[in-house]
Amino acid sequence: MKRELHAEWTKLRTMSGSGRLPLAAVLTVVLTVALSAAASAAVTCPAIGCDQDPVRLSLTGVHLGQAAVAMLAVLAIGGEYGTGMIRTTFTAMPRRAVALSAKAAVLAGGTLAVGTVAVLGSVLAGRLILPGGGFVPAHGFPPLSPADGPTLRAALGSVLYLVLVALLSLGVAAAVRDAAAAIGTVLGLLYVFPLVILMVSDPAWQLRLWQVSPLNAGLAIQSTTPLPLSPGAGLAVVAAWAAAALLTGGLLLRLRDA
Amino acid sequence: MEATIEVAGLRKRFGQITALDGMSFTVTPGQVTGFVGPNGAGKSTTMRVILGLDSADEGHALVGGRPYRSLRRPLSHVGALLDAGALQPSRTARDHLLWLAHSQGLGAGRVGEVIEQVGLGSAARRRAGGFSLGMRQRLGIAAALLGDPPVLMLDEPFNGLDPEGIVWMRGFLRSLAAEGRAVLVSSHLMSELQDTAGHLVVAGRGRVVADAAVADLIAAASGGRIALRTPARAEAMTALAGAGATVAATGPDALTVSGLAAERVVSLLNARAVPFSEVAAHRATLEEAHMDLTRDVAEFRAATGREAAR
Amino acid sequence: MSVATVYRSGLRAGRDGFAQLVRAEWTKFRTVRGWVIAMTAASLIIVALGLSYASGNRSTCGQGPVEVACPAPPVGPDGEAVTDGFFFVHRPLPAEGGITVRLTSLTGIITYPPPDHDKIVPGLVPWAKAGIIVKENTRPGSAYAALMVTAGHGVRMQYDYTHDIAGRPGRVSAASPRWLRLTRTGDTLTGYESADGRQWAKVGTARLDGLAATVRIGFFVTSPSDLTVKRSDLGGTIEQARFTQATGVFDHVSVQGTAPGEWSGGNVGNAGTTDWERHHQATGVQESGGTFTVTGHGDIAPQTDGQPIERPLTGVLIGLIVMVVVAVTSMTAEYRRGLIRTTLLADPRRGRTLAAKAVVIGAVSFAAGLAAAAVAVLAGRPILQANGNYVLPVSTFTEVRVIAGTGVLAALAAVFALALGTLFRRAVAAVITAIALIVVPYILATASVLPDGAAQWLLRLTPAAGFAIQQSIPEYAHVLGHYVPAAGYFPLAPWAGLAVLSAYTALALGLAVVLLRRRDG
Repeated sequence: MKRELHAEWTKLRTMSGSGRLPLAAVLTVVLTVALSAAASAAVTCPAIGCDQDPVRLSLTGVHLGQAAVAMLAVLAIGGEYGTGMIRTTFTAMPRRAVALSAKAAVLAGGTLAVGTVAVLGSVLAGRLILPGGGFVPAHGFPPLSPADGPTLRAALGSVLYLVLVALLSLGVAAAVRDAAAAIGTVLGLLYVFPLVILMVSDPAWQLRLWQVSPLNAGLAIQSTTPLPLSPGAGLAVVAAWAAAALLTGGLLLRLRDA
Repeated sequence: MEATIEVAGLRKRFGQITALDGMSFTVTPGQVTGFVGPNGAGKSTTMRVILGLDSADEGHALVGGRPYRSLRRPLSHVGALLDAGALQPSRTARDHLLWLAHSQGLGAGRVGEVIEQVGLGSAARRRAGGFSLGMRQRLGIAAALLGDPPVLMLDEPFNGLDPEGIVWMRGFLRSLAAEGRAVLVSSHLMSELQDTAGHLVVAGRGRVVADAAVADLIAAASGGRIALRTPARAEAMTALAGAGATVAATGPDALTVSGLAAERVVSLLNARAVPFSEVAAHRATLEEAHMDLTRDVAEFRAATGREAAR
Repeated sequence: MSVATVYRSGLRAGRDGFAQLVRAEWTKFRTVRGWVIAMTAASLIIVALGLSYASGNRSTCGQGPVEVACPAPPVGPDGEAVTDGFFFVHRPLPAEGGITVRLTSLTGIITYPPPDHDKIVPGLVPWAKAGIIVKENTRPGSAYAALMVTAGHGVRMQYDYTHDIAGRPGRVSAASPRWLRLTRTGDTLTGYESADGRQWAKVGTARLDGLAATVRIGFFVTSPSDLTVKRSDLGGTIEQARFTQATGVFDHVSVQGTAPGEWSGGNVGNAGTTDWERHHQATGVQESGGTFTVTGHGDIAPQTDGQPIERPLTGVLIGLIVMVVVAVTSMTAEYRRGLIRTTLLADPRRGRTLAAKAVVIGAVSFAAGLAAAAVAVLAGRPILQANGNYVLPVSTFTEVRVIAGTGVLAALAAVFALALGTLFRRAVAAVITAIALIVVPYILATASVLPDGAAQWLLRLTPAAGFAIQQSIPEYAHVLGHYVPAAGYFPLAPWAGLAVLSAYTALALGLAVVLLRRRDG
């Protein structure tokens, strides 16, 4: 496994020479922080109070940053199918499940690092911007701080969420093989659930869909107010999606000719 | 319209690499012109510039006297095979040709004709993704012939062909040229062009190293030498040396003669009643001629893939 | 050197034109089975989601212990659903004439206001109104023209529910009363206001085509429900309407022209009463020495409660993702295989080649989007209605705009994606960018992830603005409502939104042409 890990890291690091890895990393950070800052700036909280959750607000950017994370993950394997390099990979590392695990491990590590930067940047942006919109201690909103328990949980959870999205995307890309179709599937899965929930009128079904939607359930961790699913359970839902995708991808890798 | 390709003073750089460095030549109709040289000599780049795919930094390339990008229905002016693998794998051979035909205002009838012409009839409705390299080459040739153009340009058409396919391709190229078309065929293997090309343009380091008729090149490489096999070596040496030839013994019954034509050697020996079992003009292979010409650009021979990279 | 006869082709020259290029690109598209299947699937997904939405959405109204079908709201003269409830003191006006009143007071109450959810407090909602009206008859939904003083928007002249003309701003009180006059001449009604009953200023005129000869003329008071919006934990918002009531005091009531009979008072619309009214003052009129005190609740306005026809089109978003993937792939596959060179050889005029590609992918997406939208909207409506939902009526033109607009939206999105595919030459980057610009903003804005202000800016500035073409019910400035993207209201007008998407598409396509021309093939 160690050799596989090293090889995958080298591959990810040197991906295609045109700097797509740094690009995806920078995109993740920029998109996340930019949307977070924009959302924080767009909201004002008058003196009479508001039903906004400043922590959640300052982490809005994760909704967009996850697209860049998905791109990185899909490129990590979809690119190999596109160029036929997957055959080289499997020749060098015949144990395909191990190869995929190595890829997953390296990807998770990379996303963890990038996600941490992005999420911390968002919290910082929120800390700087939100008071300007009336989120001041006088209205019951102390400045955001990662040292604060719920804020810390929301921030850590958002990073973990991004990691799980990366793994989910990797699994889908391994299963679908075509990079464009894979990214369409992942983004569809992430973004369309929230909309389908709004389309359903039956509250019981709404709740059921909400609880299995990777985006809704997963980002429950950002909320500092109670939701129908506990934050941990929400992340577990995303983890289940990621595991299912990785298992499917791994199984298909073993069964299919490269 | 003239069936010619004119390339004059092409220069092109890709970053640090000089791909073309004053490439100039003309391809005339009625014969196959071989475009040879080691990998990285600039053959494919030249072809792409001729076809308007790449733009040269300097110089110009004309097809039938006009730049490719100004041609209307260009496939009826030039047919080209660049990369036989450039196919959508899920499209059938026939459908691949059909969209090309439609782009030239041609119908499905013409597609059927070229498919038969290259012998793909039985595979026409199969997905091109499952084709062997040889079949892809045939499909590429069919695409080049679609507009029935007076000029044909084929990049490495022998690649991936089995021996039978090579024989077919040679005959096919010769017959196309015999119809009065200008046919430019690039290859990095000289032997493939043997018995096919009537004219050679030899490229090296982005420029033309030699541009001559094949017969002249071989004669030059052969140096007019004649191999003679005779049991009476001494008499033969005397007779031929007396006629002004340079004779060297190469074995107990073998001589190499230079300075005399083969017919003259035969008549001299017959006149003196010197017995001989074999008189053969020592004919250099095209490969040998090529090696002679490109010896000075030999360092490129080891380089591979640079051409394919662009 | 051999000089052979130069080759002459016996082939008849084909036509050279853009049509040939388009035909070639169409052949290219239709001969890749995966693309055709995906486009068909995109259509079917839209239809399937639309119909399942329609069939899964039931609506009933409770009447005591039993659930019954909800009564359909009245329909106004222009065909739109309206709410028409007010207390009306009136008499017939058989010919031309007019009415003049002085309004000295407008007060009211609001129930259950936050933060103390158990009190009734005095107060007025901004669109509480009292004034004079000429109305065809007392049937809800009939044509009218009215001149009124509102609680928060000054004097207004409104007619036929959707039309609203602003007069002088300011509130009314005993110290600062308002004189109002409304006259009828043929089909034309003219409203005047005055502070003192001597100097009159015209507020506006309304033409009510085909107004009956005999109409009702009189004065009215009404007050629409207040609105409280809460965020839902599951995304979306919960809207709560709160009962309000307004009371207006009229004096100096005079009728110009022949208006026989006495004043009679009654509610227009508003059949039901709430629990609250059993314990408090009911709507009605009290007269004392020429002073009329009128109390009423309701509204005279278009009504937007119900299912807009475009609601079953939410699946378009998923369909668009598929179309974007196909459009991008139709370009990037050529780059990946090197087929782009063959394409550029077939026609070296690269701008035309890209244009032909755009025409084909645009036309295919348009057809797929149009067909899917037509089925989803036209088949979705009867299903919705059968399930007890009220589908808000719209004009045929609006319906055509929603359906055809969805096709155009799909076409523009696909061409935008195609252009991105040309710019990036890489499928993943192009698909991500296209989805991030078209689909994600729409979801962020409508799934209530973003605060409303940010959501509206997203739908102004990003290509997702194009979804505005699907909005069938306009935002009415004179009706209190939760006009946010999450509720289906876009910040830009339908065509303006589509123009934003078109501009993005044109820009991307232009850049793609420039780059394609400049780049080596």
